[in-house]
Amino acid sequence: MVDLLLADGGGTATTLSDQLPVTRQAVAKHLAVLDRVALVRVTPIGREKRYRVDEAQLARAVTQLTAVGSAWDARLQRIKRIAESIQQTKKH
Amino acid sequence: MEFGTIEREIFVEASPEVVFEVVSSPSHLQQWWPDQAHYEVVPGSTGDIVFGQHGNDAAVVAFTVVEVRPPRTFSFRWTHPADEPAVAGNSLFVTFDLTPSGSGTLLKMTESGFREMGWDVALLEQQYNDHVTGWDFYLPRLVSYVATAKVQR
Repeated sequence: MVDLLLADGGGTATTLSDQLPVTRQAVAKHLAVLDRVALVRVTPIGREKRYRVDEAQLARAVTQLTAVGSAWDARLQRIKRIAESIQQTKKH
Repeated sequence: MEFGTIEREIFVEASPEVVFEVVSSPSHLQQWWPDQAHYEVVPGSTGDIVFGQHGNDAAVVAFTVVEVRPPRTFSFRWTHPADEPAVAGNSLFVTFDLTPSGSGTLLKMTESGFREMGWDVALLEQQYNDHVTGWDFYLPRLVSYVATAKVQR
């Protein structure tokens, strides 16, 4: 959905649900979540709301997730090291 | 991959029983993540994990065990307000899935909840790494120090 918003330069719950295999209601709910975490900007047009991606926020979110990912890489490496040394001890 | 979820896989040359113990027991958790871990390895157990040692500087983070199915699955929620039950929307959700593979175990880790929690929680996640980064920094030094000390004898 974020991809569609980026490709089309924005959209409403109606235009998005026309392009996705989900109901307008489901799309609107998802958009509300994106709005709450400030990943999209909202402009009212008549009775509909037009959404577009806040690209700066999106970039920030991706950077933060990448950092958390590297943190997990380090944690998993330590898990591996600990488990393998326990296994070695058991063999001897 | 759903945007807002972190997924990792790693092969461990150890039995699923051993790996399960390492990812789930508080005493092992303290070796690879926080400074202290307080909880029981039973579904629904609430406790906390502590980052840092010194009174005021220590960050105490809520921790709730969700699923315990040895030696296949261990999952927990963390970062929820200490006085609230951990549910989707107020916490990060971590799942370890273990699959036997050859002479070892394929360990899959998933962390989700970033989209619902807001992105600032990712900043917190990074803060909680300080202890870990410290060990990554000091451990190789300690090893080379021990090696040097042996040579000098």
